[in-house]
Amino acid sequence: MLLQQLSGNLTQGLILGAIYGMATMGLNLIFGVMKIVNVGHGAFIMLGTFVSFAIFTYLGLTPIVAIPLAFIVGFALGSLFFYFIIGKLTNAPELNSLLATFAIGMLIEEVTKFIFGSEWRGFTWDVGRVTLPFTVLPITKIYAFIISILVVIALYLWLRMTRSGTALRAVVEDKEGARVCGINVDRMYALSFSIGIGLTVMSGVILTFFISVGLNPYMGGAYTLRAFVIAVLGGLGSPLGAFFGGVIFGLVENGSYTLLSLIPGIEPFSLTRFVTFFILLIILLVRPTGLLGVK
Amino acid sequence: MIRGLLRFTLGRESEMLKVDNLESGYRPMQVLWGLNLEVKKGSITSLLGPNGAGKSTTLKTVFGSVLPWNGKILYEGMDITELPTHSKVEKGIVLVPEGRHLFPNMTVKENLIMGAYSEEAAKRQVESFELVYSLFPVLKERTKQRASSLSGGEQQMVAIGRALMVRPKIMMLDEPSQGLAPRLVIQVFEAIERMRGEIGLSVLFVEQNVETSLDISDYVYIMHEGSIKAEGTPKEIRALTDIREAYLGV
Ligand SMILES: Nc1ncnc2c1ncn2[C@@H]1O[C@H](COP(=O)(O)OP(=O)(O)O)[C@@H](O)[C@H]1O
Ligand SMILES: [Mg+2]
Repeated sequence: MLLQQLSGNLTQGLILGAIYGMATMGLNLIFGVMKIVNVGHGAFIMLGTFVSFAIFTYLGLTPIVAIPLAFIVGFALGSLFFYFIIGKLTNAPELNSLLATFAIGMLIEEVTKFIFGSEWRGFTWDVGRVTLPFTVLPITKIYAFIISILVVIALYLWLRMTRSGTALRAVVEDKEGARVCGINVDRMYALSFSIGIGLTVMSGVILTFFISVGLNPYMGGAYTLRAFVIAVLGGLGSPLGAFFGGVIFGLVENGSYTLLSLIPGIEPFSLTRFVTFFILLIILLVRPTGLLGVK
Repeated sequence: MIRGLLRFTLGRESEMLKVDNLESGYRPMQVLWGLNLEVKKGSITSLLGPNGAGKSTTLKTVFGSVLPWNGKILYEGMDITELPTHSKVEKGIVLVPEGRHLFPNMTVKENLIMGAYSEEAAKRQVESFELVYSLFPVLKERTKQRASSLSGGEQQMVAIGRALMVRPKIMMLDEPSQGLAPRLVIQVFEAIERMRGEIGLSVLFVEQNVETSLDISDYVYIMHEGSIKAEGTPKEIRALTDIREAYLGV
């Protein structure tokens, strides 16, 4: 019984973790290339959930359509913000870019609130469910899992196999070295920011495949915090590390919930956060640079 | 003698790089105060001077990673003052920066391939690999090793090799012998001479290692507090005892 419950929760955790991981890759890409921490990260995830919501509710289309659309919207917004704001701050003190991304996040939130209002939104997208021996999974969650994995593979192949991806890795490893090779570092900054924001908005859509209620313009904060933890866990600057960090985070969060609920007299949900951070601390004590981070 | 004749007959056209009244720095601090220097085609030119004189800043400004405030940079007669670094690399100007700046988690081979990033250089990649391995045979045994796992000398060879993969016409090197054992210092300087001899590369390098630098240079500039204080052939510089004592401490 317990084992069944645990396996069920771990399955949910694995899926949610894959989504978390996918949702952190954009943050880590941007940080890896520009050393800019996108404090407005969660706002872009929120934006993605609303793209999904709008496509489903107003246009009556399947939210699958929202995936490429969200990437395009995110890429365009990323380019815009880079061109007018972020690109001018690449040599400025870190606090400047921190404040800038914070402001951009607030702008996204307020514009979303202006368009959709501030009440909680949600939708029900039901395409059936599969019954596993230990749990029942809605098919949308399986979609979310598969698409997250595909996105990770695509990003990995891009970074490994293409000229621009290789140039981007070079900038992550050593900016000055990249310049010496004739790489246009400023263009790589723009590209990483646009793709990073594109991935982040897209992850918001995928998140709605897992949970499609409770959407609100201010829901992003919790995801920003999670993404920071996952990024550190996986290794700052490593997009692939972010994915594995996310999977571990999801597993721990959900697994510990099951185990904690066995202890009488405690409230398991609030404790999961404590356990998760505790495990993060332990991992960082063993590997200070995170799972796939480099010194 | 022959070199002198060449310089004379080719006249102006033999000028690879000309820096004219260059000013730059790190705002608000100005470092270069009207610097003038020239590198002849196929020559080895060195820029010497005490710590903090602005030697690295000079190379970085010519390369474009530090922006010029004033003055002109001419390359084969072309004004390149305002060009971004990647365009300069495409035109054949490359820098081996202080501290090497390799890609630590890439292998030796991957580092070298990155040097051939521009489309022109990519076409000549095979040929370039041969050139690099003939200059530094030891790298051939290290191709699959991560750059961060190499010794300091080998890392410097990769840095020079990567810059060669660019197929430059002029290579600037910032203290290539820094932190190397004497045997390796000789090897690096020999490589510089061979690059000039075999592919006619023009070289501008910065050094603290005064004696060896004088040995291999065709022309020497001595810089202090952001401008050139003396210049001449190594022979002329050796004769300037007071200048050497004042600025080079030898
Ligand atoms: N990135 C930098 N920011 C601010 N000041 C710098 C920077 N790099 C060098 N400087 C200063 O510029 C001056 C010249 O430095 P540099 O060009 O490195 O001299 P050198 O290479 O001859 O030792 C020094 O006073 C140094 O402190
Ligand atoms: Mg220096």
